[in-house]
Amino acid sequence: MLVLPMAVPFIVLVLAAIVAMLGLRRTAVWVWFLALAATVYVLQSHLTYPLKVVL
Amino acid sequence: MTALARSLNALALLGICAVLGIAFYWQLARGELPCPLCLLQRAAFVGAGLGFMLNVRFGSSEAHYGVAIVSALVGVAVAARQVLLHIVPGTGSYGSALLGWHFYTWALVAFFLIALFAAGLLFIEGQFAEGVSDWRPTATAQVLGWVFVLFALGNAVSTLLECGFGPCPDNPTGYELLQK
Repeated sequence: MLVLPMAVPFIVLVLAAIVAMLGLRRTAVWVWFLALAATVYVLQSHLTYPLKVVL
Repeated sequence: MTALARSLNALALLGICAVLGIAFYWQLARGELPCPLCLLQRAAFVGAGLGFMLNVRFGSSEAHYGVAIVSALVGVAVAARQVLLHIVPGTGSYGSALLGWHFYTWALVAFFLIALFAAGLLFIEGQFAEGVSDWRPTATAQVLGWVFVLFALGNAVSTLLECGFGPCPDNPTGYELLQK
């Protein structure tokens, strides 16, 4: 399973914030969706890893 | 966008910048490195801040409030996960406490309040009437927005230094990229 670096959600969020400040509102919201997906993916990795160890 | 909605969104953005600032102070001045779940909570704070920042920068929109509320709910999930990890007696805790509570407990309360606050702001009538495209941000809104970008960037750089290009260890002891 692909391990996503912890920094990825932050980098995408920074991108969304910069895009927003440059005036691209809709793009910023779409980039935020990517950051949200990355955050949830990293979280589920953390949730399932101890389970895999136990199993 | 009404003046009340604008002021309250700016206040929420300032509050989130303050939370990120306190977290940075604990990390840099007191040497307590954030754990993986702590970092995810910071990411959720940045996401919630982005929603308020979009409102301050462009004017009120339902989508911007959605960004703030969904980010806060993800933050609730992450913080609740960490509270549950340490809820059993004898399992210990992570990091030091502030005013008797650990940071993840504070974060759980803060995320709940952020979601409640953003939902409460939706009750302000007339804020969506102007739309977002005609909105011209004030100089204060621009400064506040860029300050928030700096906080987000600081977190990204700090996380990259701490975790490198992989997942973070559960109990980080140093900055991965600086040790090589």
